[in-house]
Formats: sequence, C-alpha cells, structure tokens
Amino acid sequence: MNTTARLAAPRGTHGRLGPLWTFFFRYGPPRWSRYVVDHWTGQRLVIAVPYLWLGIFFLIPFLIVLTISFAHESPLDRPPYDSPFQWVYLDEGALKQGALQIRLMVHGYVQLITDELYWSSMLFSLQVAAVSTLLCLCLGYPMAYAISRASPTSRNIFLMLVILPFWTSFLLRVYAWIGLLKADGVINNVLLAIGIIDEPITMLKTNFALYVGITYSYLPFMILPLYSNLEKHDNTLLEAASDLGAGPIRAFLRITLPLSMPGILAGSLLVFIPAVGEYVIPELLGRTDQLMIATQLYHEFFNNRGWPNACAVAIAMLLLLVLPIMFFQRVQNRELQAARK
Amino acid sequence: MQAAERRVDKNKAKNEPWRDPHAEAYVRFENITKKFGDFVAVNNVSLKIFKGEIFCLLGGSGCGKSTLLRMFAGFETPTAGSIYLDGQNMAGVPPYERPVNMMFQSYALFPHMTVEKNIAFGLEQEKGLSRSEIATRVADILEIVKLTPYAVRKPHQLSGGQRQRVALARSLVKRPKLLLLDEPLGALDKKLREATQFELINIQEQLGVTFIVVTHDQEEAMTLASRIGVMNRGEIVQIGTPTEIYEFPMTKFVADFIGSVNMFEGQLIEDLPDRARIQSEELGGVIYIDHGISSAPSATVWAAIRPEKISILRAHPGENVENCVKGVVKEIAYMGDMSIYLVKIDSGKIVRVTQPNAERLSDDERIGWDETVWLSWHASSPVVVTQ
Repeated sequence: MNTTARLAAPRGTHGRLGPLWTFFFRYGPPRWSRYVVDHWTGQRLVIAVPYLWLGIFFLIPFLIVLTISFAHESPLDRPPYDSPFQWVYLDEGALKQGALQIRLMVHGYVQLITDELYWSSMLFSLQVAAVSTLLCLCLGYPMAYAISRASPTSRNIFLMLVILPFWTSFLLRVYAWIGLLKADGVINNVLLAIGIIDEPITMLKTNFALYVGITYSYLPFMILPLYSNLEKHDNTLLEAASDLGAGPIRAFLRITLPLSMPGILAGSLLVFIPAVGEYVIPELLGRTDQLMIATQLYHEFFNNRGWPNACAVAIAMLLLLVLPIMFFQRVQNRELQAARK
Repeated sequence: MQAAERRVDKNKAKNEPWRDPHAEAYVRFENITKKFGDFVAVNNVSLKIFKGEIFCLLGGSGCGKSTLLRMFAGFETPTAGSIYLDGQNMAGVPPYERPVNMMFQSYALFPHMTVEKNIAFGLEQEKGLSRSEIATRVADILEIVKLTPYAVRKPHQLSGGQRQRVALARSLVKRPKLLLLDEPLGALDKKLREATQFELINIQEQLGVTFIVVTHDQEEAMTLASRIGVMNRGEIVQIGTPTEIYEFPMTKFVADFIGSVNMFEGQLIEDLPDRARIQSEELGGVIYIDHGISSAPSATVWAAIRPEKISILRAHPGENVENCVKGVVKEIAYMGDMSIYLVKIDSGKIVRVTQPNAERLSDDERIGWDETVWLSWHASSPVVVTQ
C-alpha cells in the first residue's frame, strides 16, 4: 500500500475499523503527527473532555472493582484481599524465572448465585424499586397533568414547589420522615390526641416507611419528565377527538395517554434505576431483617470485610441495571429522532 | 316558452333556497354574542344556513369568524343567543354529541395512529358498528379522497396535501349533517389549492353534506361558496352569493374587502327612478349612474367602480360617452393574463384599471408609463354605497 492509497480517504474521517485502524494503518508511525493535526479538531477535543472524565472516574474504578471481585479473600490483611495478578518466581534449577500468575477467584460470584441471602436481597430491591416506581407514577401523573393544564404563572409556581425540596439536604428530608413516622412522632401524637387510636402505630422500620421514603424522594424525578412531555401536547388533538365523538375519558385514554408514553418511560426509568441501589432510605426507614442490595453490599464491605464478595455484589448490581439503562437509551434515541422530524 | 321558464324557476328555488320565504333553515344562529372578558368577539350575529349549500364566512383576522364556527362545533359557549341545528337547540350539547364534524386548520391528525386508524377513530366512538363495517367505510372514504395506497402510513410520512385529505376523510366518514372547515386550503400551495377547491365541491355534491367554511381568502370563498357571509369586527356585514357580494356590495367595507375597487366620494345631485348623478370632487366631475339610488337628497355617497369595468384608451372616447376622465399612467403591473394600470387623474386620485392582455401588441401599441390616457366606464358599472 503506497502513501497515496493510504491517505486516499478524506481527511478527518476514520476507516471501517475506527480510530485505531486509522491511526496505525492509514497513517503509520511516520505520520502520527499528521494524525493529530487531522483528527484532533476542536469538535473532537471537546468530546475528549467527558471521555477523559468518564475514563478516570468511571472506567478505571470499574476495572479496579472488577479486579478485586476476582481477588482472594484475606480479611486480616490490609487491604483484605490478595490481588489476582501476582508475580511469582518459578525455580527451575539454576534459572530463576519470573511469571505473571493470574488467579481468578469466583467465590464471590458463586455466592451470589447460590446464597439465598443475596438472591432474596436482589429480588427485594427490584420489588421495592418497581412498587415505588408504580406509586410515583400514580401520584406523579395527575400532578404533572394538572401542572401542564394550569395557567403559565401558576405553572411556574407549581414547578418551583416540586423542585423546592431539592434545595434542602436529602438526608435531612429522610430524617424528617423519621420524625413523622416514629412511635412518639408527629403523626402518632396527633392521632392519639384526637383519639382515633389508643396505641401508637408502628410505622418506622417497616416496608411501608420504606415505600413512603423512596416515593417521596423520587417523586420529582417522575413529575418533571412527565410534565415536560405533557406540556408539549397539542390541545387541538383533544378538540379533534372530542369533535369525532370521544368523551373526555375516552379522549384521555386514546390520545393523551399514548402520547405521554415516552414521558412515562423516562420518568419510570429515572425512578427505578436509582431506587434499586438506594442505601440511605432502607438503612434509616426500612426493616432491619430484609435488606436491599445496597445495604447488603455495605455489610459485606465494612462489617464482614469481604471485599471480593462486596465487589462481586457491586458488579452484579451494575449488570442488573444495564438492561433498563440500555432500554432507556433506546427510548431516548427514538424520541430524539421523532423530535427531529 | 312558459314551460321552460317555469322549469328554470323551480330549479332556482331548489338551488337557491334562501330566496324561498317558506324554506326551513337547516342551521339558525339567533342573536349570538360572544365576549371574552371585555372583548366582544361576536356581536349579535343572526344567520340562516340551508341544507346542501356551501356557506362561507369571510373576513380578516380577528373578525370573529373562527369564534362563530367554534361555537357551532361546541368548543365555545355563546355568551348570549342560541344555535339551532335541524330545529334542535344546541345549548348544553357537548361537541362529542353534536352531529357536526370539523376539519381543523392544522388538520389535528393523531400522530401516533396510522391514516386508517385516524379515520376509523370517529367510527369507533359510535355504538353498534362492527369491525368489518368500520373497515368498509374507511376503505370507501379513502377511495373518495384518493388515498388508498397511503392507508398504513403515519401522518408524519405524508405531504401537506395528503394530510389535508386525511383530515377531510376523517371528518366525512361519520356522515355528519354538517361539515365545518376552518381555513381548509390555507396551508397548500397555489396549484394544489385550485385543484383541491374543485375536488371539495365535487365531494360535497357527491355526498350531499352541508359545508360551512371559514376563510380569509376571497378567492377561496368566491370559488367554493354558494353564499358568502362577510364579517367585520364580530358582525355580519353582508350575506349573498359571490356575484351579489362582488357586483352589489352594500357597504364601503364589503366593496373594498372583495377584490379591488375605486371609491369616489361625492354628493348626490340628481336622483330619479332611472338615473342618478353624483358630483364628485375626487373625480373632478359628475358620475352618471343608470339607476336610481333612493337615498336622501344631497346625501354623501360613494360610487364604487371595479377596475375591470373601466376602459383605458389613448384617445378621447367620444362625445356621447358620459363617464370619462383624463389621467396619466403612473404604474403598470404585468400579470401575464392581464395588466394593472395605476392612473393618476387631475384631482390627484390614483385610479386602478385592469385590462386583459387579449392581443399581442408591440411596444408602441401598448400603453406605457407617463402616457396621457382616457378612462371611461358604462353608466351601469358603478355601485353606489351609502355607508
């Protein structure tokens, strides 16, 4: 391949196999400086910043966690694991040869599959996240709908009210719930004072408190994407439906609801994905005998000092969420394309 | 001879039901007023629309025509007055219970449904229609609007003209008593607009539906309508056939709104049963009319003369021509089929004259800029309006 053929493709574009192919084969060592000039244009440099950020703060830590998950457990050491990559010396007679020994311990992963504790906490996390998403949807949809129908001034006020809780500390808001739900908390005291109940109701450290806490904290994440979608709806569509004989309920079910599906999906994923890995709320409000996966991870990491197991749990959590995240991306792309048309 | 005359009269009564004093109006607007806060959008409008006609509400922006239409469709409630459809009072009847369908200006097609589903939507809301029946009716209406190959496409995959036909099909498939059209041809280009105008008339005759069209485009109104109602500032100014509106406007506004017109203000100096004379300073002379006006003596009136009724000549037309004035050609606009001349007469007024380019003329034969010309018109051409 002569020089002209190699550089025949237009400058700034990559070959079929991407940047590495272009770097090594199209340009080759003598022309690497040329590669920089051709490809490191302003646009590409801007993309490089988030790539770098993700590389340093996500990819590398992920690889570290992945490595530790395959490590050998040794709780008494500091750190409490033996790295899977070890340099050993094989003594063969007079020659001392060094070899890189890679030892992958799958104990952590096996435990995930066989141990009932992990299974139940994973399923429980999924269940809690799903139920909370449903509750957020049931509460959030009417609110988003009402806000989108309000006058522009009222709309701004309502939106501010929805976002206002974020201006206070998340932890404080969860603690506030403790203050409301505990045995001698506000709700119980009021009910006792009125005389509706004789004994305080146990609300704290139950599943009920967990659902309340998660739904309350994640509600704005459901309302905002829903509102953003509903606000763009064309009113004349509903008029057309009405003109064609559909009453208000029929029109809502057949026009508004299907058109708000992207908003529903976006809101649901924004609630579901973080809720699975929620730690603070189950720790403060939830039951102590049934753990969500994040609490499980905490115990494994800090109490049992089983880093490899904990890392295996973390990797498992990530894989668990990869599917919904990919789905979310697919939905986003589709909506972007539709909006572009 | 007499039999033929009688036949013509009978046809006239059928085709022009508004002339028959005993005819029952299909739609009656009685003293309809609509106020939005302090703003009066529709001011005491009374209207009768007959079955099978295409009635056009014509007016500029903000004249209240769309509000009137929406009140009839049920999207707005009148502040005062009643609307009757086929004898039934429509007060309190929601839009989904009125036997009326509307074709929206923006078409309002459901973006998440195919063309078929869009059209079937209205039929699915009706009770007692089986799936196969709905499918047949949808297929039939697709045939009529010539969209059968596009049945499974979604609205965003169609062109503007195709979307318009889907909207039309969707509103017609329910066989409504009345079809309301809100600026139906506004979004189409000129050629498509002309073709669609005739298609609409054909479909209307084929299906026998009564149309009420709202538009600001005079050409659309003149082509489509059997009768036009001209609106201004929430009131109906004149109702008549396109010919009546154009040739016999009742007010300055109507004369000016439809087409172009030359308005000469003057004093009525002679008013006899068979002729009248108007002294006009704007003209710089006397305007002779060949009919009586029946107005107060010495009243201020306006003579409206349409541009196409004025002839433009290079020489004085002769002594026996009554209406004649001299002027200088200031502007010429060549439109292909006709030319528009703006002629400045001695009084300073600019008179607009149009002439069809009936013959091919050479440059010296054609009238040019800054030429002195004579304008003349027949005594029957002007229309005298008193308000």
